Amino acid sequence: MAQPTAAPNPNEAVPAATAGGNPNEAWGSRIGLILAMAGNAVGLGNFLRFPGQAAQNGGGSFMIPYFIAFLLLGIPLMWIEWGIGRNGGRYRKGHIPGMFAAIWRHPAAKYLGVVGLVIPLVVLSYYTILMSWTLAFTWFSITGDYWGRTTQEAMSAYLTSYQLIGDDTTHSNWVPFLFYFISLGATIFVLSKGISGGIEKLAKFGMPILFLFAVILAVRVLMLGPGENGVSPIEGFQFIYSPDLSRLGDATVWLAAAGQIFFTLSVGMGTLQTYASYLSTKDDIALSGIATAATNETVEVVLGGSIAIPAAVAFFGVSGAMAVAQSGSFNIGFVSMPIVFQGIPGGQIFGAMWFALLFFAGITSSVAMATPIVAFFREEFGVRRETVAWTVGAVAFTFGILTIFWLQYGMLDEWDYWAGEFGLAVMAFIEVVLFMWIFKPENAWRSLHQGADIRIPTVFKFVMTYVTPLYLGVILVWWAITKAIPILTLEGNKSAGGDIAPGNEIYVHVARLLIVAIIVFFLLMIRMAWKRNGYDDRKGFAVVEDTPLGTPVKEGGAR
Amino acid sequence: MSTGAMLFMALSWTFVLGLTFWSFSKILKTQRHFDPDGTGPASPPVPPSAPPER
Repeated sequence: MAQPTAAPNPNEAVPAATAGGNPNEAWGSRIGLILAMAGNAVGLGNFLRFPGQAAQNGGGSFMIPYFIAFLLLGIPLMWIEWGIGRNGGRYRKGHIPGMFAAIWRHPAAKYLGVVGLVIPLVVLSYYTILMSWTLAFTWFSITGDYWGRTTQEAMSAYLTSYQLIGDDTTHSNWVPFLFYFISLGATIFVLSKGISGGIEKLAKFGMPILFLFAVILAVRVLMLGPGENGVSPIEGFQFIYSPDLSRLGDATVWLAAAGQIFFTLSVGMGTLQTYASYLSTKDDIALSGIATAATNETVEVVLGGSIAIPAAVAFFGVSGAMAVAQSGSFNIGFVSMPIVFQGIPGGQIFGAMWFALLFFAGITSSVAMATPIVAFFREEFGVRRETVAWTVGAVAFTFGILTIFWLQYGMLDEWDYWAGEFGLAVMAFIEVVLFMWIFKPENAWRSLHQGADIRIPTVFKFVMTYVTPLYLGVILVWWAITKAIPILTLEGNKSAGGDIAPGNEIYVHVARLLIVAIIVFFLLMIRMAWKRNGYDDRKGFAVVEDTPLGTPVKEGGAR
Repeated sequence: MSTGAMLFMALSWTFVLGLTFWSFSKILKTQRHFDPDGTGPASPPVPPSAPPER
């Protein structure tokens, strides 16, 4: 196993003879890298959002556009992000502003990269809150705290009590803060230990547990007999996989499927690129990229689709389960599933496994979110990793506390929409245009094949150049017209979180202003970094490695 | 469960599981010395060891 190459001061003169990617950090093993990448992609969305989206969009009629989007959007974006990341690593850039500037020698490139710093910070701030709910409910399952609440209404009241909204006063006010503190603290602790010492170790430990728990739960759900409605869990599969061709003409189904593929693979976040920047051009990214995407899809389709919906169908019937799913993805996980667990032998253990599974899915994603910010401050300002990690943690904690207090006013929904939905699509669109159009398809193709263990089918060159940007452009325009503009203007007094009570508009405005403030802050930091290090936008950065981009790719993919 | 749904489910699962098994089998077959910084030796270094004390 190669040891990380030490580079204590990233601002020192670039050693001309080094031949690797970003030498500030390194992966310890290829399996560790793929597990970390897959852990980044596999998140709460695989087990909660996927069944919710499938239920809301007609089950079988959702799955056909879902797989098409996976082929035309998901896989190409995965390769593009690995390619951008590794190319950035050639110039010792593990952050998006640097990666964009490495591709496009224009002063605007670095500023476009601000999205790759803003999105991770904003998403980290609220994602760790969602993660803390899973940790709390793991504990509540073990202790049987919610036992006895066997109706949707009672369980909903229990959940809202924990969220400090609603009238139920089951929990003390400090409880959610405690679990949030632990969840964020664990995330930052792992992050502070670095790539191979923290993130890779967590992935090697957390991903097998996640798989094991998911398989056990899926098998247990399949063994459930017919519920009071006389419906077996198999009917859940019937719903998900019954191909209803009549809804294929509905544009919203196609957009929902594309959106799900987009979010489940964690593209547009800036994290895959940072992970890939620690590879050299001698390392494969073509096969590793497809392995990461495939692993995520297996977890989502095979495991994620076999737990929540079949279990809910068995307990509440097809129409009851659909009603729950359509009321929100979190209701499936935090309201329906606890009721299911209360109705089966050993329910406390299975409940704990379900929420622990969600926690591991969450933490392997959350640790990835801050890595682009850590890379930025380490590489451009020479700040120690631990210092950046704990500072980012403190900032995220401050925003998180505000989000918990303002949950009922829709702050989390607002941040989730602008950073976690719309922002991801914007970022992905920018990087596809930069990598395939400005960097040029030939260079992109050569770059992807450097060190490749497989040869990517040539049809994907066409897909990545034309189909993927067009697909993304359509999604962006559609979302802008149907959602972003109405939400921005608070049309019908509705924000991203739904209806706004009179007088509560101020919370929405403050949530948005905070995002604007974060954008301005990072723009200033980028400007400072470029000035401080004397970068010339037109000349680009010095290459840290000696592998020329023009090295021909051998047919058959062997290097 | 209808035949159509069963077929579609079988196709979906075969696709994602097949892609996963194919990619991982390829990775395991072509696994070489992993050299993240490109400066390592061609073969993995031998861990240091000391002769047992007598």
